[in-house]
Amino acid sequence: MAVPVSQMYTVASYVLSNKLRGVKRYPLVLMLEPLFRCNLACAGCGKIQYPDHILDKRLTPEQCWAAAEECGAPIVAIPGGEPLIHPEIGRIVEGLVAQKRYLYVCTNAILMERKLKEFKPSEYLTFSVHMDGLKNEHDLAVCRDGVYEVAVKAIKEALKLGHRVTTNTTLFDDANPDRVRKFFDEMMDLGVEGMMISPGYSYHKAPDQQHFLKKARTRELFSRILSKPKGSWKFNQSPLFLDFLMGKREYQCTPWGNPTYNVFGWQKPCYLLQEGYAKTFRELLETTEWQDYGTSKNEKCAECMVHCGYEASAVSDTFGTVSGFVRTAKLTMLPTSR
Amino acid sequence: MTDTKSHDSDCSGSLEGRVFRPTSASELAEAVDLAFDYRGDVRLELTSGETVVGYLFNRHAKGESPSVEFFPEDDPAPRVIAYSMIAAIAFTGEDTANGKSWEAWASKKESERRAEAQRVEEDARSRGLL
Repeated sequence: MAVPVSQMYTVASYVLSNKLRGVKRYPLVLMLEPLFRCNLACAGCGKIQYPDHILDKRLTPEQCWAAAEECGAPIVAIPGGEPLIHPEIGRIVEGLVAQKRYLYVCTNAILMERKLKEFKPSEYLTFSVHMDGLKNEHDLAVCRDGVYEVAVKAIKEALKLGHRVTTNTTLFDDANPDRVRKFFDEMMDLGVEGMMISPGYSYHKAPDQQHFLKKARTRELFSRILSKPKGSWKFNQSPLFLDFLMGKREYQCTPWGNPTYNVFGWQKPCYLLQEGYAKTFRELLETTEWQDYGTSKNEKCAECMVHCGYEASAVSDTFGTVSGFVRTAKLTMLPTSR
Repeated sequence: MTDTKSHDSDCSGSLEGRVFRPTSASELAEAVDLAFDYRGDVRLELTSGETVVGYLFNRHAKGESPSVEFFPEDDPAPRVIAYSMIAAIAFTGEDTANGKSWEAWASKKESERRAEAQRVEEDARSRGLL
């Protein structure tokens, strides 16, 4: 089992509690972006495209802690930019661990070995290392030779020190399913706790881009990758989300499930789209025009199948339907039965 | 005179270097939306005669007093500026999203990719980020 039982119990009891109370919109994972500055410029990344004075802005630890308290999500992902660049990332993590939230520090690992001494191993802290494939594919995706090897070295060191480590993989339309499966073997051989995969998303702010990895191709690609999975593969994701990627289940997006907070405020409506900002989490929930977003409602959402919108939908299905619960239980106990 | 270029969301080409001088509320709202979507600094010419350069990161278009939220390039504190105070919007800063899509990267020659990657690495190294 990839995720510790304590984390599964916390998430399950949180989701059930919200459902029993009839709460329609509740957050599952806070996407906390303490900065946008990065030490890579990965192909197609829309998160770092800002003028320098914006890239130089930082959330304070106090702002990060307050956002997590205000939002109340049991899980906090810390992406960016590159979070390990933040000079107070150690304090930010320490404070969030003290809140007993399950953290995923999303890093390209370039600075990880150097920074590991700032972090105490904890069941609440996981380093989620950006790995987009085997060496050639990853170094191409991040647009720099040698990053794969640096990341592997950092993963090994983090594991040696007792840290929880997962990988985070974004797949684009040139992905080779056989190579991706081989990549899964390599990551599990390294000893990571689990892997997270997602299709890429086409950021709309770039004036010259078109849609990529359209839904049909996404389903075909992930079907080829995930069919007949090996027992050694552990995914740090809902089995129903993986079903969704393979085209076996249909979901509507749950954009409030992964709310995003950064130097601009609470981002409307989701982690990927930037349609405006709210000052408070309550304002985000109450003033976002949620009915305007989703697969059949907005052309910007048409081809999106990313985990930040659909993982929460899958988790809700697990606890909201008998079939969802039974399928989740079956795939959790017998992952090779997919 | 307001820039009359097509403002379709899927039009190609960056707005960098363009100047909009709205002559109506709808033109102003449209120009503000373009500035909000723009991934670079803009120069706002205000009706007071002041000009401010910075990043327009939010807008509240509805309500009695529509306003924008703006990070000046030379001040950490954000400013709130009413739509009614904006006389012109110039897209003066570099469009940091231009040419940065996955498709653009994929279509580049290997030599161009390596040159761009080298430049990015040198910039990160000079900032002490590696």
